[in-house]
Amino acid sequence: MSSQPESPHDHGLVEGANGGIQPGGYYGRGIPYLPINGYPGKLIAIEGTDGVGRSTQIQLLREWLEVKGYGVVETGWTRSPLMQPTIELAKSSNTLNKLTFVLLYATDFADRLEKEIIPALKAGFVVLTDRYIFTALARAGVRGVDRPWLRTLYGFAIAPHLVFYLKIDVETLIGRVLESRGMDFWESGMDLKHGDDIYDSFRAYQNKLLREYSSMADEFHFRVVDARRSVVHIQDELRRQVGAFLEP
Amino acid sequence: MTFSLLHATDFADRLLYKIIPPLKAGMIVLADRYAYTAFTRDVTRGVDRQWVRELYSFAVKPDLALYFRVPIDVSVDRLLARRVKLKFYEAGMDLGWSSNPVESFRLFQGKVLEEYDRIVGEYELGVVDATGSITQQQRVVRDLVARHVESADTTREIPSEQSA
Repeated sequence: MSSQPESPHDHGLVEGANGGIQPGGYYGRGIPYLPINGYPGKLIAIEGTDGVGRSTQIQLLREWLEVKGYGVVETGWTRSPLMQPTIELAKSSNTLNKLTFVLLYATDFADRLEKEIIPALKAGFVVLTDRYIFTALARAGVRGVDRPWLRTLYGFAIAPHLVFYLKIDVETLIGRVLESRGMDFWESGMDLKHGDDIYDSFRAYQNKLLREYSSMADEFHFRVVDARRSVVHIQDELRRQVGAFLEP
Repeated sequence: MTFSLLHATDFADRLLYKIIPPLKAGMIVLADRYAYTAFTRDVTRGVDRQWVRELYSFAVKPDLALYFRVPIDVSVDRLLARRVKLKFYEAGMDLGWSSNPVESFRLFQGKVLEEYDRIVGEYELGVVDATGSITQQQRVVRDLVARHVESADTTREIPSEQSA
């Protein structure tokens, strides 16, 4: 359905080495009615697969930043008041397919971007986001959704100032998930119908996700953090890098 | 943005459940509004023109798309004559252009009509003059549809949702 882009390079995200994308600016065509240039806030994304320890790290990072005097706002995937009930409802029924799944996530993200992230950046807050668009790109990519289309879709997202990718191997991840809350349907990619065995499905699905994240590391300037280490170790590294960025 | 994306989600759901299956079965699908509505309405709300077109690139291109064109005054008169209460979003009240619903409707739908004029050529919409009587309009529509149905190649391949 799409007509010709106005020029070969003006649509979607720049792929590969995206040296042209400014942190704090829009990745792609952006939101025309919300110019965001020169906002004083900083956007820091913590990415990583399920069970990697993101929320613990964010909580610790938040406390540390607040003690240092920064205003901190937290946001997380599917937490928008507009979309959360709808997403939960859709997940509990069997009517979702990969396309509507992608679009529901994008709607949730757009809501939080407009209502939480952009106002907080405007007001000079440090915005910590528990997952960012890379989660959506990874999940949809694994499900076979067209990658260039996904990048164009998320062209309204803001490029974070820092993206930390908490990297883990699937063996360590399995151990952690089983020790805590166990494997769930969606985190195991059971919708992909790899088979009835949740363990095998989890392993295959998370492996694919990890590959997907790794393939985005260069494209989106991930700062890769080894998430197999202790909570304190990881936190030290995050604080060192965030500190160096905020107070050079 | 959320307005645009929610509609796209709803559209995707209808496309996959209500439009593609009957097309595969060789049936004729009549769609009351299509992606063109998003191209005009969302852009009027300030969404990027190119972005919304690419967003809907998963849509099936219709074999025939008809645009019923009517001047804004006729549109307002018709709605008011039926004493319809103008809907909040239909009148673009969310944009805050006017606190008077009729005035807001006029401003908002006026912009929407400008966007339609833009896409008529871009997407080769068949324009039907909607100021005429229902009988006159229906005659034009039947003529256009008949030409298409009779010339339609019923063996063509139906694109799947992954043609994005």
